[in-house]
Amino acid sequence: MSNKALKRGIAAAAAGLMAVTALAGCATDSGPQTIRVVAAQYTDDMQAYYDDLVTRFEEANPNITVEVEVVSWNDIDQKLKTMVQTNDLPDIGNLNYFSSFAADGLLYTAEELVPADVLADMVPTFIENSKYEGTAYAVPDLASARLFFYNKDIFEKAGVTEADIATWDGLVAAAKKIKTAVPDVVPIALPLGPEEAQAEFMIWANSNDGGVYSNGEWTIDSEKNVETMEFLADLVAQGLTNPTPATFDRTSGAFALFSEGKAAMLNGAIFLPGVLEDNGSTVNYGFTNFPTNRADGKSITLGVQDYFFGFKKDGNKDAVQKFMSFIFEPDNYAGFLKAAGGFLPATVSAGEAMSSDPALAPYIAVLPNAVFYPGSEASWPAVQGEMQQTIGTAVTAGADIKAILAAIAAKAE
Amino acid sequence: MKKILAGPLPWVGPMLILIFAVVLWPVFEMLRTSVLEISSSGRERGFIGLGNYEELLANPNLPGAFIRTISWVLIVVAITIFISLFLAQLLNANFPGRRYVRWALIVPWASSVIMTATSFRWMLDGYYGILNRILLDLGLITETVEWLGDPESSFPMLIAVAVFVSLPFTTFVLLAGLQTVPGELYEAARVDGATSWKSYFGITFPLLRTSLFVATVINLINVFNQFPIIWVMTQGGPGYETDTTTTLMYKLAFKSQEIGQSAALSVLNFAVILVFVLIYLRASGYTKKEEN
Repeated sequence: MSNKALKRGIAAAAAGLMAVTALAGCATDSGPQTIRVVAAQYTDDMQAYYDDLVTRFEEANPNITVEVEVVSWNDIDQKLKTMVQTNDLPDIGNLNYFSSFAADGLLYTAEELVPADVLADMVPTFIENSKYEGTAYAVPDLASARLFFYNKDIFEKAGVTEADIATWDGLVAAAKKIKTAVPDVVPIALPLGPEEAQAEFMIWANSNDGGVYSNGEWTIDSEKNVETMEFLADLVAQGLTNPTPATFDRTSGAFALFSEGKAAMLNGAIFLPGVLEDNGSTVNYGFTNFPTNRADGKSITLGVQDYFFGFKKDGNKDAVQKFMSFIFEPDNYAGFLKAAGGFLPATVSAGEAMSSDPALAPYIAVLPNAVFYPGSEASWPAVQGEMQQTIGTAVTAGADIKAILAAIAAKAE
Repeated sequence: MKKILAGPLPWVGPMLILIFAVVLWPVFEMLRTSVLEISSSGRERGFIGLGNYEELLANPNLPGAFIRTISWVLIVVAITIFISLFLAQLLNANFPGRRYVRWALIVPWASSVIMTATSFRWMLDGYYGILNRILLDLGLITETVEWLGDPESSFPMLIAVAVFVSLPFTTFVLLAGLQTVPGELYEAARVDGATSWKSYFGITFPLLRTSLFVATVINLINVFNQFPIIWVMTQGGPGYETDTTTTLMYKLAFKSQEIGQSAALSVLNFAVILVFVLIYLRASGYTKKEEN
């Protein structure tokens, strides 16, 4: 930045603020600089992981200071958005979507973000999901997959086995048996509250040949999805679920009930065993594929991936790149996965190393049948936000399912 | 220069700067944002005039939220004032332990609204809530009820909690009003043979008018702006069925990613508050004139 620009800056009325911005802009690749990372708090171990990582990174790169802020999942979305709105951009973000930032032209491409060899090691499906209008603007940091969890003791009491719940018909029959044999438990926990309703919808809808997006088209209010919601509404009406799914959240509702042995079945995820452990649960549980109603009889899973992305700012590219490639060094990345606790790795090499882990193997096995959120669509965050709030009302008695789905579909551009 | 320094400016200057920075500038920014197109991640994409307002007025959830806001404000304030009149009268009477009762009344006020709302949210929970336990044990219900699962039961619950947290302030304002009523008036009334009802409506109530007015308007504003109770207990749900325009404004921005609509709604909300304030200023000026 030239002297002239500096002088002009000082001359301006808001001299103080301008000067700070100008000075920050002056930092070149060689001078000392600071990058800010806003990272997701997968577990309480993340902070310790980053502290150690940053210490070692700064030793290797004495002119770069890294400030990592580990933010809980409740707040991180808003935190990043506020930073973007106020133009107080961090350098690296870590979130479950990226496309709206990419649409605003704020992000580096994946090629700019990490070196070619790291990019080549990423699981191709995950990179595919990191694209916005054909270009990858983020890299996957990890992924999770879901399976159907059940309480073995309740199954035994009701005389139901894992094989019985392979299909929707079998599921309904099993739920009815449980309702009769063990009346004080909820046969199927159905958390359609705002916390994670979009995941529930994705799983049930795709298990019925429906879904939100296929072949470049939004399919939110398709016949198949209406049928899916009618099926769920029927479960609710028969008392086979918790009574008010629309206000029943995943963590405070479904997971809590299952932990206490008060729910027989639920859509669970790779991190549910960890939650059960944290809750001090002694429930004797098993997990299996999702019950399916698909024409091909196959069972799907919902794959969810999160992202790292870099915000374009003057002169930060080099430092961002260095830090990103440092995270993806095999040892550091293994540490990241360990701290995050039981997720699926985003790189092929780490995946191979972990495929022998008995806790992860069933999830890695179902990944070929995984469906993903249309995270590369810029309007997905808006669709998701609307769906979280209203999809639960579709299972209330007398709800106009078609109209509710159409209102969600209206959010897709 | 000397003249300026000797004048009133050095004294009111800091105040003017403060008013500009924390009142006028945010209002200006709010108005400006409402006429801009904003991307879902919060970037400005240029001027679109009244587009945000048009979108907002076409939002199918607005009319419901608007009607609910009106009933929310009217019902909460009316019940609060009504109960507070009794409480203030009680606390004004002389009885042993009055001091402790007054302290106790401050508790809902002193504790954070988030905390109060969270406590109620769990007391009303379908599976873990104490209310279900009590009602089951008393045999008043036969199976557990999800009090916050259905707008027909959750909205009255929200109103009850809002009244609960509004009572202390209102009661103390009215109590202060009661204490300004001179005792001789009551004595005179008694001498003239007035019944207690008569002296209440003939003396107390008219003289309470100013404090009643202050309590009403401040409550109107507080209740209209009330966010944490609704947010913690129902998040405006299921769907949008317990939203007021205040929570809807938040949900539009942070859930539905409609920042423009949210900005437009905040301008409308601001206009409503402004009306309340104008009523307040006008009426308080009116009472002053009367006193003079």
